[in-house]
Amino acid sequence: MNRPAGPGGRVCGPPVPAPAHPPRAANVSPVTPLLDLRGIDKSFGPVQVLHDVDFTARPGEVTALVGDNGAGKTTLVKCIGGVHQPDAGEYRFEGTPVRLGSPRDAAGLGIEVVHQDLALCENLDIVENMFLGRERSNGLALDEAAMEEQAARTLAALSVRTMGSVRRRVSDLSGGQRQTVAIARAVLWDSRVVVLDEPAAALGVAQTQQVLELVRRLADKGLAVVLISHNMNDVFAVSDQIAALYLGRMAAQVRTADVTHRQVVELITSGRSGDLGLRA
Amino acid sequence: MKAGPSQEEIRRHNLGTLLRFVHLRGPASRATLAETLGLNRSTIMALTSDLTAAGLVREELPRRPGRRAGRPSLVVQPESTRVYVLAFDVAVDRLAVARVGLGGTVLDRRETERPRGELDTGDLVGALAGAARALVRKAGRDAVCVGAALAFPGIVRRADDMIMFGPNLDVDGLSLGDALARRLGLGVPVAVRNDANLGALAEHERGAGVGCDDLIYLHGDVGVGGGIIVGGRLLGGQEGYGGEIGHMVVNPGGRPCACGSRGCLETEVGERTLLAHAERDGPGRPVGRDAVRAVVDAADRGDIVARDALHRVGTWLGFGVANLVNIFNPGMVVFGGTLRDIYLGSAAQVRSVLATGALAAPRERVRLRTAELGDDVTLVGAAEYAFAEVLADPVQVLARLRGPAETALR
Repeated sequence: MNRPAGPGGRVCGPPVPAPAHPPRAANVSPVTPLLDLRGIDKSFGPVQVLHDVDFTARPGEVTALVGDNGAGKTTLVKCIGGVHQPDAGEYRFEGTPVRLGSPRDAAGLGIEVVHQDLALCENLDIVENMFLGRERSNGLALDEAAMEEQAARTLAALSVRTMGSVRRRVSDLSGGQRQTVAIARAVLWDSRVVVLDEPAAALGVAQTQQVLELVRRLADKGLAVVLISHNMNDVFAVSDQIAALYLGRMAAQVRTADVTHRQVVELITSGRSGDLGLRA
Repeated sequence: MKAGPSQEEIRRHNLGTLLRFVHLRGPASRATLAETLGLNRSTIMALTSDLTAAGLVREELPRRPGRRAGRPSLVVQPESTRVYVLAFDVAVDRLAVARVGLGGTVLDRRETERPRGELDTGDLVGALAGAARALVRKAGRDAVCVGAALAFPGIVRRADDMIMFGPNLDVDGLSLGDALARRLGLGVPVAVRNDANLGALAEHERGAGVGCDDLIYLHGDVGVGGGIIVGGRLLGGQEGYGGEIGHMVVNPGGRPCACGSRGCLETEVGERTLLAHAERDGPGRPVGRDAVRAVVDAADRGDIVARDALHRVGTWLGFGVANLVNIFNPGMVVFGGTLRDIYLGSAAQVRSVLATGALAAPRERVRLRTAELGDDVTLVGAAEYAFAEVLADPVQVLARLRGPAETALR
């Protein structure tokens, strides 16, 4: 049987260049960081929570933020999201120093944070939740059709097929679906940076896997994704970089391809591992 | 020296390129096509009218007016319901048949469980042909089947589609494609290819690997299959047997493999081994995808035996991936089938071994991903393979099939 070389095969003859694939995965580093925090200090009264913390997040990459309870992960995320203002240090966005006075400032730059509690309204449907506080109107009335279409388009762009109607109430959704809605809400606004605080904490395996794949797709679409997680398998499964906090200091930010599970655990529990980490 | 391509060859090539674009990337306006394919608009118009006349595409006004001023550009859509292929997937414990329309839409499908072990060729061909005929009957009157392909978990000779060996199915020297094509009587041959090879094509064309021309796909079913794409083409080797990653020896003197060797990747990370490590093997215990997923689930809930099993399997998977990364320098490694679950459940281990076992230069940029097409990956691959002929020479192939098929079908 004489068959063609398969779908991957090319017919000879040069007249037309093969169709260019749509742009996808932004090339992994060395890309300028989108988010670049240097020497961040933060105290609450007499308690210093962050000491001279450096942290970067690059477009097209998932940067995992790991550390024990109380290491300062949440405080750092709140500094990124404009909830807290650092006492000292520099916050650069696309290389330009910025000062964020509030979460609204962060949102203005395209930085969205998905908190652990998700902050979804159970009595509202998916579309209403995605546009909550930022509803679209045409004149006086809400433009329901446009919002519904954009919500559906965003979910489709994230390859979410498990949601059913976008008019379902959040109270009828499973944990994984709720997480998906919260993430979709964060990317609806042409966001550049999405920070996810323990997105898989309360989910079963199948839903965790779907959320991880969604996290990976966000980065492959060119966003800078920051993922906080305690689960080392999740961290290794999707991250490009791992930033390990230890007692309020950044022990190290390393490429995932270069480290082992054991090294990361050592960075988390003792702040150093061999040549990596904080000096004694 | 060979002269340049003739007018006819150029036209055929352009028709194929345009059809392939709307098949893989979905409906596109004439303006987009002109821009992407680098052809002027009058050429695009001539090509689309040829394809429209052949019944392969249709043109419609866009649903919403575009942002640009002026007359909206017509949108070229693949004729999904009228031009289709049959895709067959023979897995160790299930069979699937689908009717897939141009553009990649699964129009209809049949799936059945199958007892493991004994494989009666007659029964198998009967079951597949029966399901396929039911699907064909439900197709519209004017629909035409333009190809058929079957994904098989074994080693297949490229020259004549002969199945040479199936480590988990006893089938040596079987011409499944010919037998099936005779029973179907649709006037199209049924190509037979290795399932993981087709999975690699599917992920490359429609899944995680779009835009990545050097990728390796690893497929977990009972065993482990592989497909290697180098420079955008599937690596088949001399006779098409290439890419048997599952039979790469990672642990000399390890567990015995059905292929006769010891310590093959598939014996160290396959379903049987995972279940044995997890103390879930033995007669009467559940097997298959769900059993593997149950181990990953138990590990996530903290079951130490299951965690240890995944840890051990993840180590060998890491060694396998490290070897592949060193040899092929892929841009991406995709884990599909049950290996998706195993990778996500043991990623820390897999990547730790990779970090220490692979050379720094090729390791640096390799992206590890899970299959985007989920459990349908091999079926989608078979469909894509079946479309290859019509995409290479759209008008001729359709002209040949329209005539006799019309009568043979009804």
